[in-house]
Amino acid sequence: MRVWRAALIVATGIAAAACGGAPIPVPPQATGEPLPFSFADSCSDYGVLDGPAARSPRNANYQIDVRLEPADRSLHGRERIRWRNITAHPTNELQFHLYWNAWRNADSTWLRERRLGGNTNTPRSDAWGWTDVRALRVARGGVAGRVDDLTSRIHFIAPDDGNTADRTVIAVPLPAAVAPNETIEIDLEWSAKIPRPFSRTGYIADYYFFGQWFPKLGVLEDAGWNTHQFHSGTEFYSDYGTYDVRMTVPRGFVVGASGGEFNIENNANGTTVHRFTGEDIHDFAWTASPHFLERTQTFEHPSLPKVKMRLLLQPEHVGQEARHFAATAAALKYYGEWFGAYPYRCITIVDPAFQSASGGMEYPTLFTAGTRWLAPTGVTVPEAVTVHEAGHQFWYGVVGSNEFEHAWMDEGINEFSEVRVNEAAFTPNYVVRRYFGGFIPWVFRDIRVTRQIDEGLANYTLQAESDAEATPSFRYWPSTGVNITYYKTALWLHTLERLLGWPTLQRSMSTYFDRWKFRHPQPSDFFQAVSEGAGRDMTPFFDEVYRSSNTFDYGVQELASAGAGKDRFRTTVVARRFGEATFPVDVVTTFEDGSQKTEHWNGIDRRVIYVYDGTSRARSVQVDPQRILLLDVNYTNNSRTLEPRASQATLKWSLKWMVWLQDALLTYAFLV
Amino acid sequence: MPSWSDGWRRVLAAPAIIAGVYLVTLLAALPLAVSLRGALQNHLGASLMAGEAADAVNYDWWQEFASQSTGLGSTFTPSIIGFATTLDSVSGLLDRRVLITPIAWALGIYVAAWIFLSGGILDRYARGRRVGAHGFFAASGTFFFRFLRLGIAAGIMYWFLFVYMHEWLFAKWYVNVTRDLAVERTAFYWRLLMYAIFGGLLALTTTIFDYAKVRAVVEDRRSMMWALVAALRFLVRNPLRVAALYAANAATFLVAVAVWALIAPGAGGAGLSMWGAVVATQCYVLARLLVKLQFLASETALFQRSLAHVGYAAAPAFARPQPPIIESIFDRSA
Repeated sequence: MRVWRAALIVATGIAAAACGGAPIPVPPQATGEPLPFSFADSCSDYGVLDGPAARSPRNANYQIDVRLEPADRSLHGRERIRWRNITAHPTNELQFHLYWNAWRNADSTWLRERRLGGNTNTPRSDAWGWTDVRALRVARGGVAGRVDDLTSRIHFIAPDDGNTADRTVIAVPLPAAVAPNETIEIDLEWSAKIPRPFSRTGYIADYYFFGQWFPKLGVLEDAGWNTHQFHSGTEFYSDYGTYDVRMTVPRGFVVGASGGEFNIENNANGTTVHRFTGEDIHDFAWTASPHFLERTQTFEHPSLPKVKMRLLLQPEHVGQEARHFAATAAALKYYGEWFGAYPYRCITIVDPAFQSASGGMEYPTLFTAGTRWLAPTGVTVPEAVTVHEAGHQFWYGVVGSNEFEHAWMDEGINEFSEVRVNEAAFTPNYVVRRYFGGFIPWVFRDIRVTRQIDEGLANYTLQAESDAEATPSFRYWPSTGVNITYYKTALWLHTLERLLGWPTLQRSMSTYFDRWKFRHPQPSDFFQAVSEGAGRDMTPFFDEVYRSSNTFDYGVQELASAGAGKDRFRTTVVARRFGEATFPVDVVTTFEDGSQKTEHWNGIDRRVIYVYDGTSRARSVQVDPQRILLLDVNYTNNSRTLEPRASQATLKWSLKWMVWLQDALLTYAFLV
Repeated sequence: MPSWSDGWRRVLAAPAIIAGVYLVTLLAALPLAVSLRGALQNHLGASLMAGEAADAVNYDWWQEFASQSTGLGSTFTPSIIGFATTLDSVSGLLDRRVLITPIAWALGIYVAAWIFLSGGILDRYARGRRVGAHGFFAASGTFFFRFLRLGIAAGIMYWFLFVYMHEWLFAKWYVNVTRDLAVERTAFYWRLLMYAIFGGLLALTTTIFDYAKVRAVVEDRRSMMWALVAALRFLVRNPLRVAALYAANAATFLVAVAVWALIAPGAGGAGLSMWGAVVATQCYVLARLLVKLQFLASETALFQRSLAHVGYAAAPAFARPQPPIIESIFDRSA
């Protein structure tokens, strides 16, 4: 497939547009001359740069020309950024991310935090990576205007923790402030050492994945620059714009990238230039490998736009092609129906190489999935990660929240959405465990994965109090932050779904999506959308789940039902709030004659007592029997019965465990 | 193959030994199972969650229990269901998984019991006839301290294998050779190679010490050092026969495991089906024990078949001494 395509290009001399459309003239090289940005066909359907049809502010537009040197594992690039100050205030400096400097030395904030999280491995000498900016010039007033060489003014800053060893953010004072709505052009030249895999970027053998690989502007907000250092537990934040990127790689490499492929040129020196363009996106990632198998399919839906799906598959996963496409299509379908249409015309799915550590990551219009050589059916590998990362095209790609500060707004909302898709499209989904170094899977077809299990209920309960969700995400404790960001959010969204009903929550989320697509929302914007959808102020709920680290734990303290005269019984129920957080719950008492008494408890007091006089003895009582409150950290104590079956259950399970132990004893006794 | 079939004959001819080692295996596991049951009972209490846990799997409860448990509770994972038990234990051994303290103790006691019983078992298999409980335990006692000394030597060898060889194979060689691999299948083949080497070394070590025990019993050797040397000498002189027998026994083990993989019961429910599952699982435990005994019996048979006089090592039949009262009567009459 790859050979056929390259041959066609060479034979015809016509540039091909990956997303379809008419042949396009080859644009000029990015040698400093500004590109016209007049490409009519890319991954986006609409408009040209700064045109009236632009969906996003397009205030950070990049032209990049980069060369991959496999021999010394380096990148050499130059980029021109056309940046417009869209705030109400002038700025007299620029700030850039140099993410790869997180692996420049052992004292970077990223590596410090990784050690705090428990990973104390010191990278080997060939693992390090870095970015060096060689030149930085700023042009004002167009091509004929003033050009200032600011290279000597570049200095490192550490706005989050003052770590002077951290080299992931640079600042450059400007000779004159950039006024609101003023546009400047910034030229950078840089070189980078490609790391062995760190944080979803780097190389393994001849597989390369490049994320956060170029010097990238921070986000200027009304409060100033929002340019966080690279942290081990959080991701990224940047402005929307257009990207026009030329990547020079050895001939024979298959390249996948954000946006759509604009054209391919073969050079005389054995290299090939791949040009990709993307509009209304806020990042650009790419991958290159000579081994990718390229497959394409088109997503079609009666009420959603067509999307060309391009899959770059590892040869050893050739049998999993259909699973990757099905999962991507499921995400496009359900997210599209629930929240809003996918606004681009193509999407690239990258099946990462083994040990590349690049799996499970999202970038605009491109994402990395992740699977195993042995991937049994009935288990959502690769489906879950594919749906998740495809889903990030909506919650991250289109709705561009700040992942440094509010990681839950993309990861948590997306976790909830992904699991909902999994339930709709990929059931039954069974528990799997892997043995022998993780290579051999074993599927437990007795155990189905329910939504709350998939949403990480057990993980959340382990560290429910580790951080309040409102804490800026980059300040979460590194080893536990994921449980708050992903799982707590997914669980409280699922709780909202059960409380308000899916139609109401779906309406709220689609309103939020529509209102904030191609923009940078704040948490309050999401809460407001939910309150509007619910028709009531949901602040008390968000106070508990978002602004506090308190845990929910309701339970039954006592159930007694005794004779009180002839054919009469007095039943006493004591429901208890063991946790600090509050939530309204139902208390349902079931009697032996099948009748039930339901009480609606506001859940605020420490306990509530219900006494029933009747003709039937109680059988059981349940607090929150519908399990609306999924954040309850101990659901076992939510019920009590006067006809307990724990004896049967524990006998069965302890006998099974005994066999496991006998097996282990016999295996080890093989040695004597 | 004659030794292999002879081994089975000897194993099946001594049902009391089969019953005994089964009982030991059961008793080694039972106390911890009772302890775990107590923990499960405490967590479930009178909760309605127990109903689903009894009838099938209540994974919500299971995870909740696991998240609140330490010690034995931390081993209460899905790996206790069906064939996963075997995958988990073999994988745990080959991947050098650290055992939690209570299980390490249980294993220590179990191994000590095997060291004690080995003398009696080998003596019974070597003689090829009934020796009675007294004879069995007399031989067990006779060889216990010899095998304990041999066990120390074996322990040193296993310590070397698990601490140094495993580290070298899996943490150094395997890591280095797969560090730049971008294809999982290739890495898996490398891992298989490591397992083969490590498993081969374990098998070789076990075989050497097995034959040392066989020679110690059959030839009534006092010096375990010389028994070890004699075992090595036997292996060097009969490599193909030893290897062929080991392969036949290993194949038997694999057949037992394969059958177990096909019939292993799942989670099931409470009541009659639970007891059916218990019977099935205990049959598997019994099969594993039979294979272990077959290793010992067939190795004994092979060694004895290689002797110039097959029967010379067989001591006279044990004659139970008369009770003292009878002896005193006889003494008086004499």
